[in-house]
Amino acid sequence: METFLALFTYFAHLFLIHVYIVRLAKYLKMPVHLRWELYPVIHEEKYPSASSYLEEKDWWLKKRKKKYLRGFFFLLKDYFILSDYAKGKFLYWLGLYPWHMGFILTMFFEFLCFISGLYIIRGGQVSDSSPSIVGTFLYHMTLIIGVLSFLTGMVGSVLIFLNRVFDKSLREYAVLLHYITYGVTFLLFFTGFYSWFFTDPKLEEYRLFWAGLLSFDFSRVGLWTAIHIMVYDLFLLYLPYTRWLHYITRFFAFFFIRWDDEPNIPGSSLERKVARLLEKKVTWSAPHIDKGKSWVDLARV
Amino acid sequence: MRISDFSKKKERLLKIKKEDLIDLPYPYNRRDLEPDIQGLTEDQLKTFDSSLDGISALGIRMPKDRKEEEEIVRKFINGLQKLLTPENNWTFLMPLYHSLEYCVRCQLCNDHCPVYIASGKKEIYRPTLRGEILRRLVERYVKKRSSVVLKLSGCDLELNWQTIARLGELAYRCTLCRRCAMACPLGVDNGLISREIRKLLSQELGLAPKELHELGTVQQLKVGSSTGITPKALKNIIEFIESDIEEKLGKKIKIPVDKEGAEVLLIHNAGEYLSWPENVEAFAIIFDLANIDWTLSSDLMGYDAVNYGLWYDDIQFARIAIRHIEVAKKLKVKKINVGECGHAHKALVVVADRVLTGDMNIPRESALPLLRDLIVKGKLKVDPKKNNFPVTLHDPCNVVRLMGIVEPQREILRRICPDFREMEPHGIHNYCCGGGSGFAIIQSMNFPSWRSSVSGRMKLKQILEVFQDVISPDVKKYVCAPCSNCKGQLRDLFNSFKTNELCGIFYGGIAELIVNALEDLKKPFIEWEWH
Repeated sequence: METFLALFTYFAHLFLIHVYIVRLAKYLKMPVHLRWELYPVIHEEKYPSASSYLEEKDWWLKKRKKKYLRGFFFLLKDYFILSDYAKGKFLYWLGLYPWHMGFILTMFFEFLCFISGLYIIRGGQVSDSSPSIVGTFLYHMTLIIGVLSFLTGMVGSVLIFLNRVFDKSLREYAVLLHYITYGVTFLLFFTGFYSWFFTDPKLEEYRLFWAGLLSFDFSRVGLWTAIHIMVYDLFLLYLPYTRWLHYITRFFAFFFIRWDDEPNIPGSSLERKVARLLEKKVTWSAPHIDKGKSWVDLARV
Repeated sequence: MRISDFSKKKERLLKIKKEDLIDLPYPYNRRDLEPDIQGLTEDQLKTFDSSLDGISALGIRMPKDRKEEEEIVRKFINGLQKLLTPENNWTFLMPLYHSLEYCVRCQLCNDHCPVYIASGKKEIYRPTLRGEILRRLVERYVKKRSSVVLKLSGCDLELNWQTIARLGELAYRCTLCRRCAMACPLGVDNGLISREIRKLLSQELGLAPKELHELGTVQQLKVGSSTGITPKALKNIIEFIESDIEEKLGKKIKIPVDKEGAEVLLIHNAGEYLSWPENVEAFAIIFDLANIDWTLSSDLMGYDAVNYGLWYDDIQFARIAIRHIEVAKKLKVKKINVGECGHAHKALVVVADRVLTGDMNIPRESALPLLRDLIVKGKLKVDPKKNNFPVTLHDPCNVVRLMGIVEPQREILRRICPDFREMEPHGIHNYCCGGGSGFAIIQSMNFPSWRSSVSGRMKLKQILEVFQDVISPDVKKYVCAPCSNCKGQLRDLFNSFKTNELCGIFYGGIAELIVNALEDLKKPFIEWEWH
């Protein structure tokens, strides 16, 4: 049983990584597009007034200062606040926030289990009576983060489900997959909570399971912990079929589309990319388009 | 209305009535002062599809028979496939792909859409609806998912002629103001989806409003301007403008036309020459006083900055952008300056940027920073007291939200208008005038009536609110709209609500306000004549 669980866990993680890489590569391989930015553009010098470099006369003669890190931290920070929802749709936020926190914390919990596993196989002890401060710290952090993730995730799954059901606009646009997703996430957090509350109050079994995964010496876990790990693995397999990649693609959308105000400077690599794209043959077939001609030829008609 | 109704053969999904629309401030708190939303005539109803909301912008003719219906569906699916290929749609593939794949249907964007709010939150105007339908059609007809997946993901919407006609019309109920896109925390852009639907219809089925295509881009490429002004007619207009300036200023100004090697080629929206020549005059006076080395062009396309391709067709867009550059190259000017036209700003300065390579990439900029510099640096001597009337600023979406040109126009108004007041919201959060993305020029059938009552409603509400303390018609008030299409929309909007008569609200550009404030001017430049 423990071998199956371990192999399944390896598989689920590798599958998720593989699908994510394929999806993200597809995204990143897309051609450069026409400018379609939307202000405020966060790396702009005059970001506070939502202004751009185009407010300057002869803007092409002036140096443009960009603050990329500001954008990065803006997006990162918002994962922990979801401020647009708090301002614009507060009831929805009340469900969305704990639901998201459940995921963020569960990922952090898994990371802590991974670190704890590493610590254990290197001879360390992770417990509240560990002689090392690292062991004690890992113990308490795992416990706090794990339990918090189960609780917030459970509450969030229920509230967001209720939101979808009772808010007319959300209900109309909801599809079966939405409800399946809420069911899967509730099960995920509930099994975690149940195993902690009734069978493994110190969350010891997760640490040992991860130590086993890392040392290929798979350890036995209790039934409820096994069920939770199984559900977690199934959740990882299910993830690619949801829209949850938006955790990452949101960065792409902001950096490569909404904030992409990079001008096409003569002689730049951007210009070379555009020149290549203009050579592509078009197959649109409306009467005003000569099918089969390149973009350049069509534009010069 | 349910999403599944969209493909059902029903007479009409919505009958929009003025009683359903949001309330307006005084004096329009009396509904009888409001124009009715016109229906189509009997003949039009028989000929054109109006099954969305009884309004027609596209003028889609009913198919003659089943064969024709099937042909339209076949072409639509082809177009849908092409939208998702890099060869045919490198121009917008990434933004479109993102918006189709990563919308979580949270509906956060809805309350940011002026059309949806103004309509009294009518389901069909919800900004997420177009995207949702397109997404469902892509899953079923392009990705060809299994029936189980389609059922689970709700993508079992049937594609028939009715769906296409409704979706096409629906793409023309969005002004592409992209206020919804700004609200999306995940970067989804429902405005872009509207544009991509329009593009599919135009580039594959040859369907577009005639004002945008035949009378718009096609005419512009053929005779030089979508207004129909030919180079010869332009010369006559400029002569008229010169004599008008002489009359107002008491001195003659020679407007430079086709001056080779000038520093600046100024391109106006040709609508200015026909409808608001005082704007062209104001620019000429300002540039002359400031000793700017400038010229207009009388070459084909050189005197009309519009590029309606921006709103519906990438190929037509590229064709016009390239012609604009060729005119500048021929005159050997150092840069192009775009006059007061919002979409021309966005088209030529920003979007065309990645169409122009090599020596075609001539510098292009907005006229607003130049005007700001002239005022701020004291090159024009102004007396703000001359503009001693209430002034508000309408922000053209293309200039502010889509280009980040927010402050120059404000810096000017703060210096020349002592009673300048901001609408709420303003700047990048502004509401569209209701005439964006070609709406202002679509004059056929009953679309103008819908435009005034619905898409322009939030703007009218804002304008009335900002002037509420001086709403009497005895107090002349000025809405500064530095954009020709916005001015066209305000003209129609104010006409249909009789806003000038009932409230004394007038509209115009920013250059006119600058000239009106010039110290040396003997008599006011703004004549408050309604046109």
